[in-house]
Amino acid sequence: MPVEAKPVVYTIRGCDACVKLLRKWDAEHVEYEERHVELSQAVLDEARSHGDLVPIVVWPDGRVEQGFGDTIGCFI
Amino acid sequence: MPTATTVVTPARFAQGLIYAGFLEKATVNHDKFEESYRSVPLTNADLSFFRRAAALTNGPAKILAIAEAWCGDVYRELPTVVRIAEATGIELRIFYRDENPDIMDEFLSNNGKSRAIPVFVFYTEDLQYITRFTERSASAHAGLAAAMDEAKVQLNLPSNATFGNLPDGDRQALLRELIARIRPHSDQWRKDAIQEIRELLSAALKIPNAG
Repeated sequence: MPVEAKPVVYTIRGCDACVKLLRKWDAEHVEYEERHVELSQAVLDEARSHGDLVPIVVWPDGRVEQGFGDTIGCFI
Repeated sequence: MPTATTVVTPARFAQGLIYAGFLEKATVNHDKFEESYRSVPLTNADLSFFRRAAALTNGPAKILAIAEAWCGDVYRELPTVVRIAEATGIELRIFYRDENPDIMDEFLSNNGKSRAIPVFVFYTEDLQYITRFTERSASAHAGLAAAMDEAKVQLNLPSNATFGNLPDGDRQALLRELIARIRPHSDQWRKDAIQEIRELLSAALKIPNAG
């Protein structure tokens, strides 16, 4: 059985937009892989290669989305 | 203004980190902090003003900073305050925001809705509140708003478009356009932050904003 690809989401602890996005996904039972930007330089660099504002979502098809909701998000 | 019953007591203030301790604990952005520290745009006139303010009996003797190392506004602005503290002898103590929610709660912005950082709170020697600076200068906020309007025009989006009411594709395009427009202003906004801190202290201490 093929493994379904999940979106990767880069987040920061305490980022309101990140919390809102994950709450929405959890309510919708969306599966995702969360990577915490504040915990390592390697993950932060990885996130920066995709964008400037968390949350950053990298979809399995390569699409990238930054921020969530009605605010800009958090600059990294 | 902070609440009448502040959690920032002398004992609590003393628990804050000095800059070296903050950096030691930081898991990210050491290079960014170093680069910002090296390029702090403080002029001699700025330093003269801050030294004069710090010399007053009711002047700033302590600065409480609320920060997180991952935050772009923090690694751009915190080194400025570090330099001011070094040049004036003001005692700087730094608190990680998410480990100190009670302190953060005293200094919320956006009508109590935002935990924006950095926050720099200036106190007298006996911890009487003087003033505070939050996140970025007023000119940076205005610049962001102007960049947003220009980006909407560039993308042919309605003037009432917001991040909350745009379809995903347009929203992402607007973000990219906005980021491209504000990036060139970063250095000027660091200078503006210094001017704003001077204006805040000048107004609170009733002293001329002169070098």
